[in-house]
Amino acid sequence: MLEIKRLTIHSKTGPLLQDLSLQIHSNEIVALIGASGCGKTSALKFTAGILPPDLHPEGHLLLDGVPIRAPHPAISYQPQSDALFPWLTIAENAALGLEIAGLSKRTARAQVLPLFAPFGLAGCEGKFPAELSGGMRQRAAFLRTIVQDSRFVLLDEPFSALDAVTRFRMQDWLLARLNERPRGVLLVTHDLHEATGMADRILVMAANPGRIIREIPVTTPRAQRSEAALADLRATLKTLLLKETSL
Amino acid sequence: MMLRYLPTLVIGLMLLAGWEVYCTLASVSPLVLPAPSGIFRALFLNRAEIGSHALATFLVAALGFSLSVTFACATSVALHFTPWAERGLMPLFVISQTVPLVALAPLMILWFGFGLLPKILLVILVTFFPMLLSLLSGYRQTPDAFADLLASMGASRWAIFRRATIPSARPGFLAGLRISATYAIVATIFAEYAGARQGLGIYILSAKNNFRADLVLSAVVVSAALTLALLGLIRLLDHLTAKGPQVRRDA
Repeated sequence: MLEIKRLTIHSKTGPLLQDLSLQIHSNEIVALIGASGCGKTSALKFTAGILPPDLHPEGHLLLDGVPIRAPHPAISYQPQSDALFPWLTIAENAALGLEIAGLSKRTARAQVLPLFAPFGLAGCEGKFPAELSGGMRQRAAFLRTIVQDSRFVLLDEPFSALDAVTRFRMQDWLLARLNERPRGVLLVTHDLHEATGMADRILVMAANPGRIIREIPVTTPRAQRSEAALADLRATLKTLLLKETSL
Repeated sequence: MMLRYLPTLVIGLMLLAGWEVYCTLASVSPLVLPAPSGIFRALFLNRAEIGSHALATFLVAALGFSLSVTFACATSVALHFTPWAERGLMPLFVISQTVPLVALAPLMILWFGFGLLPKILLVILVTFFPMLLSLLSGYRQTPDAFADLLASMGASRWAIFRRATIPSARPGFLAGLRISATYAIVATIFAEYAGARQGLGIYILSAKNNFRADLVLSAVVVSAALTLALLGLIRLLDHLTAKGPQVRRDA
């Protein structure tokens, strides 16, 4: 289990996050939703170990109850954009995390290449990011994240740059990939459809200072998550968010 | 490819033709303004002499420019990793650029003689700052997401610099090279003008003293050709080092 315990993040203007605690169990998807500026991304960046130097965190990050210092090999992070390096081929991009972890170029490539077909990227190994569509680029970014073999994955609004149709397809596609290679996922999103469609639990945040105001388990099995089945849950979430932003 | 340069070629030829017609119709003395045909004739007749001076200028410019680029790269890396040093040194670098070349060139000759050193120092002084500035600005073009991604993978600051910052600075580096390359030839000619035994600068001075405007302008044509040759080398470097769809701007 990955746990953030009593996290407060101070910025120059005051506390950005206040006493935030959350847990992500192995193989569950936790969605973190809230209005812009409530500190979702800061909480994610703290967990990834990439908090900007002008933000000062207090609190603990625990892996199976043991305090750890991020960045940690058990945690991988995917930024909001696909962040594929334009000067590297897709195979080189996908192997980046493994190379940073100390594997040789050849070994990293050998580990990555067999995953191209299952990730729907067969034939794209030698292509450059600019030659791929938005959806394909996002798949390549997920491949780079998943191949790191970390136990927990942090996703910062991974589908926000995609059009609606590609977004729906990519959500289903990602769930299928996570089903094949289960990970604990912390998903930061603005999108209620995304949160309710993908997550096992939804944490609702409020701003000023950022804090979790509600934890809602999504009990409907994924196969039955139709628009109608999730309507009540979305209405509840919408009411909560509107109430918070109107304050 | 040829089509891209066609408008430039056509405009250039039209300007030369206008110049030629003006000189013929207005009966301008060749001592004041030689016609393009006269300039190219003088260039052809004196090609051996101008060629040896041009070679001397090119070698000094290329050596000075290479050293300048090397120093700029090393300094940019040092300043990138020590922001306080950048804050402290940048104003001094800016001040160094305000020293007029016309005052500095003779002083360089006075201090270091007529050899290679003063010319190389002058080229470095003129080209170092634009190179450094382009590199530092190029480093700042690194998307935060790239640095964040690498940091989250556990990459060290140096690894982030090597894998994300340097490649992101490539367009800035090439732009700096292009700007500095043009300065390099001009600075070398200026240094030679202030005092030298060989080079286009001293050739221009000598031609001017002999009222040979055609030879002065012949040397100007050659200096433009040298600049274009340097830019051509940079373009070649761009092509050889470009990966994938990396933008290859005009050099």
